[in-house]
Amino acid sequence: MGNNTILLSHGSGGRQSKELLDLIYRTLSHVVINHGEDSGVFHADDGKAAITTDSYTIDPIFFPGGNIGKLAICGTTNDLAMVGAIPKLITLSLMIEEGFGFVDLKKILISIRDETKKGNISIIAGDTKIVSRGKMDKIFINTAGFGEIITNTAISSHNAMPDDAVIITGDIGDHGAAIMAFRNGFESSLKSDCANVAPLIKALLEQGVIIHALRDPTRGGLASILNEIASASNVNIVLEEEKLPIKESVSGVCDALGIDPLYMACEGRAVIICPQDETDKVLKILHNEPLGSNAQIIGRVAERSDEPKLYLRTFIGAKRILPLLSREQTPRIC
Amino acid sequence: MSNKFRKNPNLKPLLQKIKNDVAALDGKALPLKFMEVCGTHTVSILKYGFRHYFKDSIKFLSGPGCPVCVTSAQDVDKIIYLARQGHHIVTFGDLIKVPGSYSSLEKEIAKGATVDVVYSPLDALNIARNTSKEVIFIAIGFETTIPVIAGLVLDAYAQQINNISILCLVKTMPNVLRFLLSELQGEIDGMIMPGHVSVIIGSEPYEFIPREYRIPCTVAGFEPVDLGLGIQSLVSQIQTNSPTVDNRYTRMVKPEGNRAAKELISSVFQECDVPWRGFGTIPKSGLCLNEEFSSFDSEKRFHIKVKDEVVQSACICGDIIAGRKSPLDCTLFRKKCTPENPIGPCMVSFEGACAAYYKYGE
Repeated sequence: MGNNTILLSHGSGGRQSKELLDLIYRTLSHVVINHGEDSGVFHADDGKAAITTDSYTIDPIFFPGGNIGKLAICGTTNDLAMVGAIPKLITLSLMIEEGFGFVDLKKILISIRDETKKGNISIIAGDTKIVSRGKMDKIFINTAGFGEIITNTAISSHNAMPDDAVIITGDIGDHGAAIMAFRNGFESSLKSDCANVAPLIKALLEQGVIIHALRDPTRGGLASILNEIASASNVNIVLEEEKLPIKESVSGVCDALGIDPLYMACEGRAVIICPQDETDKVLKILHNEPLGSNAQIIGRVAERSDEPKLYLRTFIGAKRILPLLSREQTPRIC
Repeated sequence: MSNKFRKNPNLKPLLQKIKNDVAALDGKALPLKFMEVCGTHTVSILKYGFRHYFKDSIKFLSGPGCPVCVTSAQDVDKIIYLARQGHHIVTFGDLIKVPGSYSSLEKEIAKGATVDVVYSPLDALNIARNTSKEVIFIAIGFETTIPVIAGLVLDAYAQQINNISILCLVKTMPNVLRFLLSELQGEIDGMIMPGHVSVIIGSEPYEFIPREYRIPCTVAGFEPVDLGLGIQSLVSQIQTNSPTVDNRYTRMVKPEGNRAAKELISSVFQECDVPWRGFGTIPKSGLCLNEEFSSFDSEKRFHIKVKDEVVQSACICGDIIAGRKSPLDCTLFRKKCTPENPIGPCMVSFEGACAAYYKYGE
C-alpha cells in the first residue's frame, strides 16, 4: 500500500483491489468463512431462522464508545435478537469514498472483527465498492444477519398483553446524547451504549423466560418503539418517569439542546415486555450480566384500547401522552 | 440536570399543599389564571404535567416569550426578500419554517437560497470570513440572546469584517408586559416571569407590575421543583393579598441582573419601537443598533422592499401569545396546522405554545 488513502483503482478489480481485499481478509481472518468464493455456503439446520439487513451511515464515523464498524455488527445482531434469534452469520458490504484513509479503515475493520468474534459470529460473504470523491460521505456499511431462533413462543410487537411489565436492560438515550454532544463540541464523559444484546436475550430464553414483545429502541428511541408496540397490540402503555434510568449527563445534554431523551436512540438496549410473574426471574438474569446490570421495570401495559396510546406518569404524578414525534430530532445517528 | 430538582421527595407534598391552598382561597374564581411569559416555561408546564395536575385549580396562559412566535409576518417577508437578493442568510434553526405572507425560508432554500443555521451568532463571523457574499445574521431573541448578538457586532467592528450585517428584530421584555397588562387588566391572577431573560435584566424591572397592577409575580426556574416553588409563591401572595416580585430562582437571578451583559447591550443597541405579531407596534419594546454601529444594520445597507398587507388567516397565534386564547381554541390546531405544515409561528418553534401542546399530547 504505497498510498495511505483509498483510490478509485482500489475498486477496479486489479492489483490494487487485491491489496484492499488482502487488508480486509488479513484483519478479519479469524471470523471470515468461505474465503474467496462468490457465495457463502452454510449448513441449514431444522427449525426456524431469521434474516435481517441494515445500512449504517452514521456521522461522525468514530464516536465515543464505538465506530461505524462496531455499530454495523451490533445493529444487525440486535435486530436478530429481537425476534429471539441468536446471530450466527453476517454479510459485510463496505462502500468507501475515494480518499478515505487506510488507517481509519483498519480501525473500523478491527472493531468489526472484535465484535463478531465476541458474539461468536462468522462473516460469510462481503463486498467492497469505491465511490468517487464527493458522491458519498466517507464510508457506509451494509450488513445482513442470519440467526437461529431458540424459542418456541412467538415474540412479536403484536403480543403485548394487559398487565405485562415493561423492562429496559439499561440506561436510556446514551448513544443519541453521546453523538449530539460530540457533534456540538460539548466536553462530556458520555459514551454510546453501542453493544450486542444477543447474549442477554439468549440468557433469558435459555432459562425459559416468557417474553411477549421485544424491541431495541434505536431510531426514535424508547417512546417511538413503545408507541409501535401499543398500536400493534391494541393496548395502552404507561411509563413511570421516576423509574426511567437516564444519566444526569444525558438529560443535561438533552436539556441544553432542547431534545427529549425518550426519543434518543439507544444502540445496546432492549425493551422487554413480559408477564408480571416473570419479572423477578428476568431482572435476576439481567443483573448478572454486565450489559444488563442497570435493568429496571419502567412501566406496565395497561388496558386494551381501540386508540392505543403511550402515557408517561411524570415526576409530579400527572399523566401525559408521549406521542410519536412528527419531526426527527436527530438526523443520521445510526 | 440534577435529580434534586426532579426526583425530589418534597415535590409531591409541595404541589398537594398548593392544590389545597388554592381550594381554600376565599372569594377567588377558580381556576386561577397564571401567565407564564416564557416559552420554556410553557414547555416545562406541559412536559412535567403541571397543566393536567392543576386542571381544576390553575389555568396556565402562555405569554409573549417565544422569540420566533412574536416575529411579525412582515419581518419574515424582509428575511425572504434578502434571501432572494442572493445574500448569505445566517439564522437560528427555528426561523426556517416560519411562514411570512407569501413564503418561508424553508421554501426559499429549496429554490436555492443560501441559508446557514447556527447555534451561536458568533458563528456568522467565520461564515463571513470565508465568503465574498454579504452575510446577514437574522437577529431575533430577547435579552437572553441579545448580549451575544452585541458580541457579534463588536467583533465584526474590531476585526473589520465588513461583509456582515444584522437584520435587527430583537425585542425586550418589560414594555411588552406593560402593554399586555393594560389590555388584560383584571383577567390575570399571577405571572411567572421569564427565567432566562431575568438572568440578564434581573428582577427589578418587573416591580411596576405589583405596584401598578396589583398582580403577584414570581421569577422561577424550569425544573419541576422550581415551578412548584414559583407557583407556591403566587398562591401565597394571593392568600395574603400582598403582590410583589418574589424571586424563587436565586441560584441564577439577581435583583440587578448581569451588569456586564447589560453594559454590552447598551454599548451597541438603543431602544426603539418594534412590531409584534398579534399586537402591532409597541413603543420602546425592542432594540436597534445605535449610531456608532448603524453601518451593520441590514435595513440601512440594503433597500428592503416589503408590502404592509395584512394576511387573512384563521391562525390565532397573536391571541395565544397575548394569553387571550389557548391553542385548543384554534380551529386549525392539529387539523390544518401541524409541526410538519405550520400555519403560524406558534406551531414552528420548539417553545411555541401550539408546538408544545401538540408535542405533549394536549
